[in-house]
Amino acid sequence: MRFEDVKESALMAFDTLRTNKLRSALTILGVSVGVVTVIFMVSIIQGLNKAFADQIESLGSNTIFVSKFEPSFGRPPGPEEIHRKDLTMEDAEALRTEAPSIAGVSPIQRLLSATMRYQDKQTDTPILFGVTPYYEFVHSQYVGSGRFISEIDMQDRSNVVIIGVDVKQALFPHEDAVDKEVRIEGSPFRVIGVMEPLGNFFGQSRDNSIFIPITTYEKYYPDRPFPESVFFVIVRPVSRAYVKSAMDEIADILRRRRRVPAGAPNNFGISSQDSLLDVYNQLTGATALVLTSISFVALMIGGIGVMNIMLVSVTERTKEIGVRKAVGATRLNILSQFLIEAVVLTAIGGLAGLAVGEIASLLMNRYSPLPAYVPLWAIGLGVGISAAVGIIFGLWPAWKAARLNPIDALRWE
Amino acid sequence: MSDATVTLSPTENVINAPATEVDGHDPSMLISMRDIWKTYQMGTEKVHALHGVSFDIPRGEYIAIIGPSGSGKSTLMNLIGCLDTPTQGQYWLNGKNVSEMDDDELARIRNQEVGFVFQTFNLLARATALHNVELPLIYGGVSASQRHEMAKQALTAVDLTDRMSHKPNELSGGQRQRVAIARALVNHPSILLADEPTGALDSHTSAEIMDLFERLHSEGNTIIVVTHEHDIAERAHRVISIRDGMIEKDERIR
Repeated sequence: MRFEDVKESALMAFDTLRTNKLRSALTILGVSVGVVTVIFMVSIIQGLNKAFADQIESLGSNTIFVSKFEPSFGRPPGPEEIHRKDLTMEDAEALRTEAPSIAGVSPIQRLLSATMRYQDKQTDTPILFGVTPYYEFVHSQYVGSGRFISEIDMQDRSNVVIIGVDVKQALFPHEDAVDKEVRIEGSPFRVIGVMEPLGNFFGQSRDNSIFIPITTYEKYYPDRPFPESVFFVIVRPVSRAYVKSAMDEIADILRRRRRVPAGAPNNFGISSQDSLLDVYNQLTGATALVLTSISFVALMIGGIGVMNIMLVSVTERTKEIGVRKAVGATRLNILSQFLIEAVVLTAIGGLAGLAVGEIASLLMNRYSPLPAYVPLWAIGLGVGISAAVGIIFGLWPAWKAARLNPIDALRWE
Repeated sequence: MSDATVTLSPTENVINAPATEVDGHDPSMLISMRDIWKTYQMGTEKVHALHGVSFDIPRGEYIAIIGPSGSGKSTLMNLIGCLDTPTQGQYWLNGKNVSEMDDDELARIRNQEVGFVFQTFNLLARATALHNVELPLIYGGVSASQRHEMAKQALTAVDLTDRMSHKPNELSGGQRQRVAIARALVNHPSILLADEPTGALDSHTSAEIMDLFERLHSEGNTIIVVTHEHDIAERAHRVISIRDGMIEKDERIR
């Protein structure tokens, strides 16, 4: 097919669009809806993936999560898991001293929320963490001003606290927080540092936390039940290459310490970021399948609209096809003319859909907690899909036109 | 294109094949039809639209094919114009046997050898006169600049120099038919094939168009007019009368 043919076909296509504005607009709308759906779905999936990967990365370099619960992603633990023996500080210490693949161990006690007061200001939402001096290194989260918990704080069970920037904002909006006296759940504490900001995770702030020595935590909240209080251990392997061996060593040490008989399953859970990612990918894989099916149906509907309108167009212009054939148009000429017309329709729909999808995902980023992200390849995908829809659904009407007998077509009224 | 051909001046009926046959036809003739049959299947019945028609047309002739409706003259016109192929028989057009060509080969022949003029003009309604005239050149693969030039020349030849950018609905019936004639001529085809060219025109405009045909003939074009009107047919130099799918009369009238 020569450029001249394509040009003639494209001109004819735009001509038809001009003459039948409403009809074309509705058809284009149908395709747009399909492409918007695709772009929007892709942007949601991509946004989730990207946010999750970013967050996982920011949680620290390849840390391993150890608790008495099986690794899960949002699933509440079953009764058997809840009745398991708790992990202990001694377990954490054993991991630190015995496992060669481990660079650091951070045992953590976590209270879902704590009330913190400073003079007449109060905040009820911060998550309270009881941690050790290793926390900074293991999590790659550092104190921004002041200092972090020291060994002496641990031994003395000091009433000292490091606060996240959200808490700083809530209680000390216009003044330095360090060395101020505050009350946590009624007990007096002294602020010794403010953490560096961490940002959001799925729209939830990660800076709404306060940190006290884990020994102090055990002094004040020894009997808080699960799930209000939970104990877990974060382990940092020597490097990414040691994640697997570190997990094996942890399993060996804990099985021995918790006296798990040979052949019995672990009565504790070990998960790395990679395994978290696996769980996550399984979840989003299913979601992606559903979203893809929805997109497919939307595109089908758009495509059927295109086919419908192209059939009407072929019938309406039977005489014109006859004239074109009489003056020498081959079947390929006619076929390509109608195909290009269909592709022009769907390409316009595709571009419109891209624009709307892009705007939608921008709005979504701004006004909803769900992240959305349109990768460059999705733009190609949108245009490619709409062109493909044009070809697939335009082919039959175009073939119908190409096959017309010129005598019958000329006689058509 | 006419210098290679020695035009015979037939003074009599040419149904009988001349003595200079090669491969079953006379290569000096522009059109050679030999025992052409066209049969349609209507339900269980076979209808013969043409019963073994044979004739020759030399280059540069002005010929009318006349017959009442149902006589088979439309079928014959479709065959001459390569819109259709015969059920049986041989048809040579400009030395090419077109009776066994497929759709796309026929399209090429129509593009190169045949210029159609229709009763209802059959112009593209949304295209300008110039673009309508360019249409055969587009399918003939002529470059855009050359196309413009040729289309302008053709429109000038039919006295429409000042109407090139008008659309058909901005033109009178006579002007539309002249655009159609320009379109038919633009590719310098072997034959100009007109189907009831004045059927949709008033008598004054009809006369104008017939004068134009006469002029085109005098410039060396081969013209075939299919009509049922005797006064139109009488403008031609030779008249073939068709009745019941057969040639009833083939006479030179001037």
